[in-house]
Amino acid sequence: MFLATTISTIMIAKGLMIGGGFIGPGIGIGLIGGNYLQAVGRNPEAAKFLGQALIFVAIVELFGLLAFASIFIV
Amino acid sequence: MFKIFANSGPVVYVSPKVIFHLGNIPITNSIFYGWLVFIFLISFLIYVAHRVKIKPARGIIQLIEYAFEFIINLINTSFEDKNKAKKYQPYFITLFLIILINNEFELFPFAGEALKSMGWPLLRPFTADLNATFAMAAVTMGYVYYSSVKESGGFRKYLGHFFVGSPFNPLYLIIGLLEMITDLTRVFSLSLRLFLNVTIGEIVIGVFSYLGHILAPVSALPFSLIEVFIMALQAYIFTVLSVMYLAIVVNHASDKEVQTA
Repeated sequence: MFLATTISTIMIAKGLMIGGGFIGPGIGIGLIGGNYLQAVGRNPEAAKFLGQALIFVAIVELFGLLAFASIFIV
Repeated sequence: MFKIFANSGPVVYVSPKVIFHLGNIPITNSIFYGWLVFIFLISFLIYVAHRVKIKPARGIIQLIEYAFEFIINLINTSFEDKNKAKKYQPYFITLFLIILINNEFELFPFAGEALKSMGWPLLRPFTADLNATFAMAAVTMGYVYYSSVKESGGFRKYLGHFFVGSPFNPLYLIIGLLEMITDLTRVFSLSLRLFLNVTIGEIVIGVFSYLGHILAPVSALPFSLIEVFIMALQAYIFTVLSVMYLAIVVNHASDKEVQTA
């Protein structure tokens, strides 16, 4: 018998939150990094703009962190 | 007997805890560690300031000089007018050093579970407290608003920066109002970004040292090394974003002067 007597919906909600919340930032950081490398490949002088690329990583990352933080208040 | 295998989950704290009372005022572990770090920072910087010479000295003084020059270059490249940039250097250097040192002190082994008082950790990093980062972001954005109103010459001219064209055009009015609301959320985004990065860094190190059982130093080492980088990056990002928020308005104001002249 594999019937669960109780289902912890909180755990399911936390899993969905983490899984869904990190999709967007994952894609976003991948795009930023990929485009940065492409720009450096075409124009090696663009390598000095790494600091500015990291700022956009931080802006994108915030939304993933918000999803992570909200599992503690569910 | 010490336990080799932990039988309880990783210990995770999201909020600071009260460790003792000073009179009637509760003192949390994050502000306590913050005071210790501030005492260290002030005395260390006074020590450095007495030893700075024209001919560069060797040792740790060069690191501080490098940090200063890094932020000064950052501000000088953001502002078009070098004289205006000079005015804003001291505040942002202070901000950068406070956040950097407070973040890096998170990674010392005596911060966290090692020392306990009243059942809670005695030392918790200052920036892993939403009150602290919110206060820093609020003071920074207050300074940015005050300076941008002063630089653009009057409150009405400052509000004019938000509108692309005439505010009586309904489209420009809506865009301008949205820009104003976005501007007000900057306090929250600055404070939440710093707080969440520091707190989550702590949680990640805690979780991975729990997963490693007997090999905890090995499993937590890569994440600790990443954290050293991320903590410095967050201090840089907080400073860069607040400089950018100020530079947008100041450069905008100087652009208009050039056009009318």
